[in-house]
Order: sequence, then structure tokens, then C-alpha cells
Amino acid sequence: MVSLTINGRVVQANKGEMLLTVTRREGIDIPALCHHDAVEPFGACRLCMVEITKKEWDGWTNYVAACLYPVEDGLIVQTHSSKVNELRRTVLDLLLARCPNSPEIRQLAAEYGVTQTAYEEIPDADNCILCGLCTRVCERLGFKAISTVGRGHDKVVAPPLKEAPPDCVGCLSCAQVCPTNVIQYKDEGNKRTIWNKSFELIACKQCGKQIITRDFAEALSSQRNIPADYFELCDECHRKELSVKMGSIVSWSREAAS
Amino acid sequence: MKQRLIVTPDLCTGCRTCELACAFAHPIKGKPGRSRIYPLPTGKSEMWTPVVCLQCDDPACAKSCLVDAITRNEETGAMELDNDKCVKCMACVAACPFGCSLHDTLHDLVVKCDLCGGDPVCAHFCPTKALTCRPVTPTRRKAVV
Repeated sequence: MVSLTINGRVVQANKGEMLLTVTRREGIDIPALCHHDAVEPFGACRLCMVEITKKEWDGWTNYVAACLYPVEDGLIVQTHSSKVNELRRTVLDLLLARCPNSPEIRQLAAEYGVTQTAYEEIPDADNCILCGLCTRVCERLGFKAISTVGRGHDKVVAPPLKEAPPDCVGCLSCAQVCPTNVIQYKDEGNKRTIWNKSFELIACKQCGKQIITRDFAEALSSQRNIPADYFELCDECHRKELSVKMGSIVSWSREAAS
Repeated sequence: MKQRLIVTPDLCTGCRTCELACAFAHPIKGKPGRSRIYPLPTGKSEMWTPVVCLQCDDPACAKSCLVDAITRNEETGAMELDNDKCVKCMACVAACPFGCSLHDTLHDLVVKCDLCGGDPVCAHFCPTKALTCRPVTPTRRKAVV
């Protein structure tokens, strides 16, 4: 255990934990767009910058990304000092120039008092902030269907050769974790379309409810050794089946007892 | 101490008090969350049964979770879902053969029974004792593999 001071309060933390994990546990709201607990911290959005200092630093301070900074004994952290807020305003100003139409970025920027960017807005901008959370989650899931392509101005998130990705199974995790909801998908009839690839959704045998795609179910069956017939019914019909089975068991035991 | 939620369908009247207790025991932003327990008719002479996560020894939900968000709490014996880790791929919702991994569509979260951290609230509220909770005895029969 290490002991550190966050906003004047002494806090205990485990060794090796990142600052952002500790502040979130303590209920301190630090904005972070590229962070997700399922993947390793990446430090792409630079919004979780905090001010750190130590007694022996003689008043010198440093500014670090909280998601990537491991806690140390005797660390003194300021999460919302005027200098930190100024840093976040600059980052949000730049993000606003990149994604002027994103409601999530606009709202966060407004919270920090930035309503209009001081920079030139990118013409025909999409809402992607290039944090790479979608690509990292896809890699974590083991599919590696999408990645960042290109460098500098040309950098985009795309499948290989910008064609329908052969490794994608249509699990929608990329779209679910995207902090600015930029990844579009469509569920129509029994078809799901994402990344220009079409998938068949498994319909429940009894009620027709669709949960996941056939490709995803096949991947789970083969990689994780889950029987394929588990995916034939939806969760609601599984519950009904279980209640009927339990009823049968009870009536058998009643008959056996009488 | 590992806990086990015991369901006795014989005693269930389908009053749905457990559902209410569960929703209030798992609030989201101050509002009742989605209940993890469902009393359903069994189709046999007006008999009901509460359907709730069985905390399987070989859980399909944890096996299907590709980000390891569902893990066993060794203290309570419950399979717990970490919503901060969950990427909402719906694999566990589709994979659970008992339909006890649920998608809370109102809050867009995946939820499942966590035995309320070792003291299930539904068991306290069940008026007919169709739901009871008792610690797992050490002499428990091992699962046949």
C-alpha cells in the first residue's frame, strides 16, 4: 500500500495502480475519453492531465496523464487546479477544432468554458478523435479487425485496405466503447451491417429475438468451447425453459414422494 | 463464506416481491435498476418459480467474456460482472443457457445476479421462504467433470 494526497485528502492505494484508477475510486471526476478498464491505458486524449508534486521537489510541479502514471508514496496531486484546467481547455479547444459537430466533445468543452474553438475547424470533419479505443478493444477481444491507418493528417481508423474486414465478427464492441459514437452500424431485419460488412443475426428459435451475429457465436463456440446450441434461444426463452424444467422436477419429486 | 441461494419452487406464489427487492437493491443513478431475478410460471398447476443465476461451476458467461469482465468472487462464490470492464458485446447474454445474464436496455448495461455481496436481499424479502440463502458446507459434493 502507498499513501498519497489527492486534492488535500490523504488516500491509500495499491502499488502499481494508475492515478486515474485511484481518483475514480475516490469519486473524483477527471474527464477521460480514451480510457476503458478492459484495455491497457494508452494516454491518447490527454484530458486526464493532473498536476503532481512532492515535498522534496521544492515547489516544482509536473503535469502528467493520470491514466498512465503509477501511484507513488508521498505524491501530492491536484486534479482541478487552475493550471490543469487551462491545460484541459487547450486540449478541448483542439478537439473542438477537430470534431466541431460532436455533441459529446461540445458538452465536455462547455463544462470547461470552451464554446468556440480558437483554431480553424477541419472542413467536412467526422467525430473521430483518433484515440484508438475501438482498435485496442478489438485487439483485446482477439479479432484485430480494425486498426489505425496512415500517419499525421491522413490517420484514420479503418479495416485493412479499407475493405470489408475478414476478421470482423460484428460484435459491435468498437461502436459501444467509442467515446464520440462515431462508428455507425445498422440492424435491419436479420442483417447487421458494420464496417461495410454484412452479418446474419441469430434469431431465437421460439420468439425471433436477435442478440448476436452467427459469426460471433461461431467464434465463441470454437475459441471458448461453448456448445453452439446455447445460442439458439434468446435469454427470455432460456428463462422460460428453465422455469418449465424446474416445474417438471418438482412435480416428479411430488409423484415420487406420494 | 461462500453462499448459495436456494430456490424452492413449491413455495413460490409468484408475488414478485423478490423482483422488486432486487431492483431496489441494485439502483442506478438513484433509480431502481433492472431486476436480476424473474418469477415465472412453470406451466404446472399455477406453480411459479423464481429464475435466478445459478452461479454455475463451469459458467458459460465467464467463458464467453472475451475481456474477462465476469469473474468469480471467491468470498461469496458469486460470478460478478465488472461494468467498467464490460464492452457490451452481448456474448454472455447470448451464451448463458439459463438466460440469467441480462441486458438492461434502459441504462444500456449488462447485469447479472451478484448475490448482493453475500447477503441476497431477495431471500430476506421472500414472504413464503421460496428463496433462502445458506452458506455452502465444506463437504459439498464436487462437480462431475
